[in-house]
Amino acid sequence: MTVGLPHVLTLAALLFGIGLYGALSRKNAVHVMMSLELMANAVNLNLVGFSRFVTPEAITGQFFAVFSMVVSAAEIGLGLALVIAIYRRKRSVELDAVQELKG
Amino acid sequence: MDWVTLIPLLPALAFVVLAPLSRAARAKLVPLAVAAVLGSLGLSIAAFLAVWPGGHGEVWQASVTIAHIGDRAITLGLALEPMSAIMLLVVTVVGACVQVYSLGYMHREDRIGWYYAVLSLFTAAMLALVLSDNFLGLFMAWEVMGLCSYLLIGFWHEQEAPRLASIKAFLTTKVGDLGFMLALAVVYAEVGAFDFATVLHHDWTAGTATLVALLMLFAAMGKSAQFPLHVWLPDAMAGPTPASALIHAATMVAAGVFLVVRAFPIFEASGIALTITLWVGLITALLAGLLAMVQHDIKKVLAYSTISQLGFMFIALGAGSSTAALYHLVTHAYFKSLLFLGAGVIIHAAHTQDMRQMGGLAKKLPVTSLTFASGSLALAGIVPFSGFWSKDEILAVLLHEHQYVAFAIALLAAFVTAFYVARLWFRVFTAPTQQEDLHEGHRSMLVPMVVLAVITAVIGFFGPTLGDFLGHEIPWPALGTAAISTVAALGGITLGWYVYGRRTSVVNTQALKQRFPHAYGVLANKYYFDLTYGYFVVGGYTTLARALATFDARVVDGVVNGVAAAWRSLSAAGWTFDGRIVDGAVNGAASAVRAAGDKVRTLQTGSVRSYQTLIAGAVVLLVVWILVKGA
Repeated sequence: MTVGLPHVLTLAALLFGIGLYGALSRKNAVHVMMSLELMANAVNLNLVGFSRFVTPEAITGQFFAVFSMVVSAAEIGLGLALVIAIYRRKRSVELDAVQELKG
Repeated sequence: MDWVTLIPLLPALAFVVLAPLSRAARAKLVPLAVAAVLGSLGLSIAAFLAVWPGGHGEVWQASVTIAHIGDRAITLGLALEPMSAIMLLVVTVVGACVQVYSLGYMHREDRIGWYYAVLSLFTAAMLALVLSDNFLGLFMAWEVMGLCSYLLIGFWHEQEAPRLASIKAFLTTKVGDLGFMLALAVVYAEVGAFDFATVLHHDWTAGTATLVALLMLFAAMGKSAQFPLHVWLPDAMAGPTPASALIHAATMVAAGVFLVVRAFPIFEASGIALTITLWVGLITALLAGLLAMVQHDIKKVLAYSTISQLGFMFIALGAGSSTAALYHLVTHAYFKSLLFLGAGVIIHAAHTQDMRQMGGLAKKLPVTSLTFASGSLALAGIVPFSGFWSKDEILAVLLHEHQYVAFAIALLAAFVTAFYVARLWFRVFTAPTQQEDLHEGHRSMLVPMVVLAVITAVIGFFGPTLGDFLGHEIPWPALGTAAISTVAALGGITLGWYVYGRRTSVVNTQALKQRFPHAYGVLANKYYFDLTYGYFVVGGYTTLARALATFDARVVDGVVNGVAAAWRSLSAAGWTFDGRIVDGAVNGAASAVRAAGDKVRTLQTGSVRSYQTLIAGAVVLLVVWILVKGA
């Protein structure tokens, strides 16, 4: 069988769903960030898939995916730095420990 | 000749220097005031010599324009001519004598400095009055003198009598001043100028002249204490005696006579005004003379005598001889100030003003009694003392004008004058001594009296010279009138001696009083003038004032308070509106925002996972919305 666009989209949707579940269900900030990465990469997969099967001549989507991965890497770096800072103050990386912005 | 301006200016400057100082500093500067008046005296003598030998119009004149009304200029000015030269001498001689005398008389007073300041201001005003070349300036000086008179009568304002007397004097003369102001208004309406040259040479119609003359006569009657405005002068004796001598005997009261002399052409144009002047003078001379007979206070005797003598001046004016009036004014100024200064020494020595408690002063106070004799004989009209000549001139004018009734009344007044002079003299100087501890006055008090006494004794011989100087004729007395008046004077003195002078009194004055109670009552109550004025004028005035006060309290205050209350309730309503509505709107908006904020803030849980759920839910809703609506 040949791999077509629907397969790619299904995989991306599965990945996104797993990521969303993880982000909503985990208490650990590191786990949540890993889930967010999954969701971001599901989107990247969509970009690459559409690019490959809808407009194969232009590589805009693939190119955009590379950009998105770079931004995600920076984002994860920043996120982990924040987690370390929070850990230093709270001795915990549980998301429920951080509620200072409660109105 | 501009130095003439200095004559009134020197005493005025003394006032300006003294008035603003403290009590102690003023007292130290008293010699300055005396120096100023002596300077004025020197300049007045110089002015007199500059006018000499007189007989014609003005020698010097200067004026300044103070205002323009339309195209008419209002000027104030001074002019030196024979009449003002004579008056300058009178005022400065008497003024200097009084100021020197006061050094001794007033030296124990705390407020001697203020006394000298007012005395200087008075002298300045009187000098300005006689020098003034127009009615407006004359009126200004006239009013300043009224003020000074008020201040000096009320000098001892801690006591009630001087205070009341000063108010009475001020108000009574003010009634007369009203006439002056109205006269000025008529003069300005008729002539359009105030200076003597223009006003007096105006072509007066008889009606207008009568109006102006009568108004001025009314003013003069107030100032010169003529019947029926004489009531203030006897009370004015509450002031210091030297001030009485200067103001209420010699100079200020003569200002009324002086005004009539100045305005004499208007009086002559009227005719009827002259007749009224004559009768005012006659009534005053006789009635005041009769009152002087029953007074026990030595100053009151002299006060009524002053009124009576001023009456003689009005008689002269009414008879048509302003020269005779001026002549009597001059002689009277000297001898009456002399008598008052003498009375001051007597009061100091006897510590009382009641003649019944005096007696035998002739031995104890030789200088005073001699000088007082000079003044008394002048007042009684005994040759050769000054009063004889001037009074004789007045009687001669009356005879010459064929005013026989007036002549008889004037002669009777002269007889009465001689009687009360004799009564005063014998009671004070020759009656049995009642006090032992009597002292002659200080030298500074005696020297001015001697000067005045000498002037009184000799000035009569210069009558014709004075006449020439004024440009009129004052003849030597005719033998007939001189004899008649001397007989009247001697008769009065003899009667006075018969009643009061003899050791064993043959006439029981007490019995006389009981025999004629009504006559004595009328005299003792001063013809009920004070009572009448008190009841009708002052009483009416106070009733009116009370009614007005009630009106004020009820109506005016009611309106004012009502307006205030209305305003207050209006502003209270404004306050409520402000508090309830305006503040309510502002606070309401604020609390609505606050309540909304309270609701909305619960969204911000601070929990990261709730935010995630929200975001995820929102995305799901967005996707559903896209799917339903179509891209």
